[in-house]
Amino acid sequence: MSFLLACPNCGERSVYEFRSGGEFRQRPPASVSSHEWARYLYIRKNEAGETTEWWYHQLGCRRWFLAVRDTRTNLVKDTYEHD
Amino acid sequence: MSTTRLPPHPAQVIDHEHPLSFTFAGERIPARAGDTIASALYAAGQRTFSRSFKYHRRRGLLCGAGQCPNCLMNVDGTPSVRTCTEPVRQGMRVQPQNVWPSLKHDLLSIIDRFDWLLPVGFYYKTFIRPRFLWPLAEKVLRRAAGLGVINTQAEPKGGYDHQYRHTDIAVIGGGPAGLAAACEAASLGCQVTLIDAQPELGGHLRFQTRTYADIGERSGLTGFELARSLREKVTAQPNIDILSSATVFGSYEGGLLGVMQAKRLIHLRAKRVVITTGSHEYPAVFQNNDLPGVMLGSGARRLLHLYGVQPGTRAVVVSHDETGLTLASELLTAGIQVAAVVDSRYRLPEAQDCVQQLHRSGVEVLTSYAIQEAHGTAHVDGALVVPLDARQRPFPHASRFIPCDLICLSTDRAPATALVAQSGGELHYDETLGQTVPQQLPPQVFCAGDVTGIHHLPATLVQGRLAGFQAAQSLHAADTSAPSSHIQALQQELDTLEQEYRHHYEPYPQLSHVWEKKKQFVCVCEDITHKDLAQGVAEGFDEVETLKRYSTFSMGPCQGRMCATSSARLCARYAGSELATRTTTARPPVTPVPLGVLAGRRPQPEKHTPLHHRHIALGAEMMLLGSWKRPYAYTTPDEEHRTVRERVGLIDVSTLGKLEVRGKDAARLLDTVYTHTFSTLRVGRIRYGLMCDDSGIIIDDGTVSRLADDHFFLTTTTGNVEFVEQWLKWWMAGADLCAHVTSMTGGLAAMNIAGPNARQVLSQLTDTDLSAEAFPYMACRRATVAGAPALLLRIGFVGETGWEIHVPAECGEQVWDAIMTAGAEFQIVPFGVGAQRILRLEKKHVIVGQDTDALSNPLEADLEWVVKFNKDDFIGKRGLQAIQERGRRHKLIGFALRDSSRAEGGQAVVVNGQPAGRVASAAFSPTAGKCVGLAWVPVEVASGTSPLQIRINGTVAQADIIDDAFYDPQGERLRS
Repeated sequence: MSFLLACPNCGERSVYEFRSGGEFRQRPPASVSSHEWARYLYIRKNEAGETTEWWYHQLGCRRWFLAVRDTRTNLVKDTYEHD
Repeated sequence: MSTTRLPPHPAQVIDHEHPLSFTFAGERIPARAGDTIASALYAAGQRTFSRSFKYHRRRGLLCGAGQCPNCLMNVDGTPSVRTCTEPVRQGMRVQPQNVWPSLKHDLLSIIDRFDWLLPVGFYYKTFIRPRFLWPLAEKVLRRAAGLGVINTQAEPKGGYDHQYRHTDIAVIGGGPAGLAAACEAASLGCQVTLIDAQPELGGHLRFQTRTYADIGERSGLTGFELARSLREKVTAQPNIDILSSATVFGSYEGGLLGVMQAKRLIHLRAKRVVITTGSHEYPAVFQNNDLPGVMLGSGARRLLHLYGVQPGTRAVVVSHDETGLTLASELLTAGIQVAAVVDSRYRLPEAQDCVQQLHRSGVEVLTSYAIQEAHGTAHVDGALVVPLDARQRPFPHASRFIPCDLICLSTDRAPATALVAQSGGELHYDETLGQTVPQQLPPQVFCAGDVTGIHHLPATLVQGRLAGFQAAQSLHAADTSAPSSHIQALQQELDTLEQEYRHHYEPYPQLSHVWEKKKQFVCVCEDITHKDLAQGVAEGFDEVETLKRYSTFSMGPCQGRMCATSSARLCARYAGSELATRTTTARPPVTPVPLGVLAGRRPQPEKHTPLHHRHIALGAEMMLLGSWKRPYAYTTPDEEHRTVRERVGLIDVSTLGKLEVRGKDAARLLDTVYTHTFSTLRVGRIRYGLMCDDSGIIIDDGTVSRLADDHFFLTTTTGNVEFVEQWLKWWMAGADLCAHVTSMTGGLAAMNIAGPNARQVLSQLTDTDLSAEAFPYMACRRATVAGAPALLLRIGFVGETGWEIHVPAECGEQVWDAIMTAGAEFQIVPFGVGAQRILRLEKKHVIVGQDTDALSNPLEADLEWVVKFNKDDFIGKRGLQAIQERGRRHKLIGFALRDSSRAEGGQAVVVNGQPAGRVASAAFSPTAGKCVGLAWVPVEVASGTSPLQIRINGTVAQADIIDDAFYDPQGERLRS
């Protein structure tokens, strides 16, 4: 892993400056079934392809943002702050 | 058999006036400054340099360029040093490796006779039964095969380092193509980093003494003069960084190159990469092709021109193009007799100078001939050569014997494409060139020179300029219009040269046959022969990648440099496939990298609190907690414990994580992430906070103080502040909350004054009313302490009246000193982590991360009082509800041992002789007069009446379960 990641705040930096926060998932409302809740807690898509994931610029602006990365090639298509 | 050195020559890198010496196997060897170990040994008459991996056959100098495994030796205790590139230092001690008892008489060479015991893939076939012999067989095999021994007793040498660099264009390889590319790119204003493995730029030109006639303005220069001229041009460019004696061992995504320069690992990030890694010769496959005296043409050239050493006295040169013919004429010039030139072509280009010189000198030139066998026992004493028919098949019965002591192979060349492949380039097998060459390149990668399979200097120089220009141009995408004519001109020139080259080029024929009696080595590292590969294919491993894993070819020190192409061709021949093309994957590292280089300097970041120097001055016993240095004790934990309980003590708690949360939605954020409610917290009050993740597992705890409606001050456990900050920010991201989280950890010094006399001491230093009514337990106030702006938190981790005092880091020592002075009349003492552990345990205060783990939840950890199920959703609510429904399985309980034994964390709690729980932490409590602690036990044990059984060093101790705190269970002292 040595690709470059464009922090929406600081620009293109080495991936070593960041911490990965895993797949982007919506936290389901409290009313969902236990089955749904367990899926949210323990199941990941682990996609071989384009994935939207959280990244944190630990050695920079210390902010979270989202990146669209192809997990097969590590090519990052887009990065943006969650709104 | 020592050779006299040739007279000084401008191409030489040795200093004849500066003698050195070193020892080899105990013998003193003379050398000259500039020599490599191998060149000095060769000059001293050494011909056998190592014993082979499996058969322990003699191996001599082959490549002379650090590519092959033949010259690996132990140098000053470091095994497997490539002596053909390692410079001589005065007094160094060199030992042969993997020999027993000596290089000359290696008894293990008997294995060569028993080769039928070691067929291809023998480790899958033999030494299987009986199984009890496995340990013995392993010992024997490990001793017999191997690449030197690491001295595990040796002191680590250190001095390793990492460096991070950035550049516009990285040019890998300092040969003619690289130099041309670097110049071109630099002249267009780019920042260029030129990386070259040799101590001096120039590549193969450094040891070329022939004159080049067709290279434009520099025509008429010899190779080494051209190298010098290009070198001067490059060094004169201010925007070219030169990394000499540096190897690129891997190309990674994002244009990252791993570069090793001596003991330094350079992480070089390049926007564009120009690969000019050149090519290297590798030996043809024929009988006894590993005999000392068989040398690659480039190796002989290096000895001759760089070190002034005659590689032999009577040579046979095997060639198929101009390179071999010029080598023969260079050998002649150096006074070496050339017995014959064996050329696989039908006709030689008579017009060439070197051919004419060969004719003039009466050298026998055998066209349509090839080599069949190297003859000799310890060293070459002759070559068996064989004529070829029109389809380049040999007539074995017409073979001829030519006496000689040197066989130079200028036969096959392989482009060094490993980095091209790693950079994302595609390779393909070019039939007319007989080589695997780059085909498709990613947009940020460019290639030039021999790596493209075109070994023709005029073309190389044009390719270099073109690659440099294109790389620079692609960086300045805006102004591309103007110079495209320049590219076209270069491209046209190149096409002409390339076509001309391809027209004349004939690859060296592949002649070797499996029935031939003597061993024909394909892979010299792992001792894999032609026969082994044929058998491997016959056994079903007919794909080059599986054949590699089965036979282990290309898995030795040279990583396939000497064998990848030959093996791929042979595999294709026996598998009957057309895919001679596929060679095995070349992964990083391309060259061996010492682990020390990868590890770099041992990073030992150590955090010191603002009060660190006070602790040192007091002679505290310091300990490392996470990355913090903290005082364990100043005297003894027991002594300090007593002082806190009876009088007053002061502890440095600057290591606590400290966060500020501000904003109109700060309270809402804290309500979400903590199990407790904070929107109801009054300004000036403190509440204990516990943080869970969404499955209900405890992740952190601390205090939350409300300083204003929209301003909270959080403390977290020592090692966790980074995580908590990220955690809070993560739940804020996209949640539409107006709040800011700022870490104050490094900016604040914090200390805790605690004990019955704490109020008397602190009130001397502040105007703030510290009385129990004005400043009750769990209250917080801004105050001035000893002149410093401070935040006072009245909390009691240790269970006494006390205040946590947070002041700016730079005021820390001032406040500490003031408290120590004011407390003198109460005999205040500083206390450390040791005493604090006992004090908190007596109060049954949990430490998250020590008493809890990745499966602990607040319901079972006896912290249910902090969980507010009645508030709206919070992180972990759903998980904790599930645990509540499921029912508690374990409980964290307090215990006190009945006898005088001492428990400690990690010991097992046993039920009916079976482990059922564990001690989380324990310490001897001077207050209780016995050992107390916290333990995780099954709920039925926790609610039972029978005593707890804890296994301590093999015996079982009885303990009582204690529900309340061991000390001051009502918290009267705390609130007083």
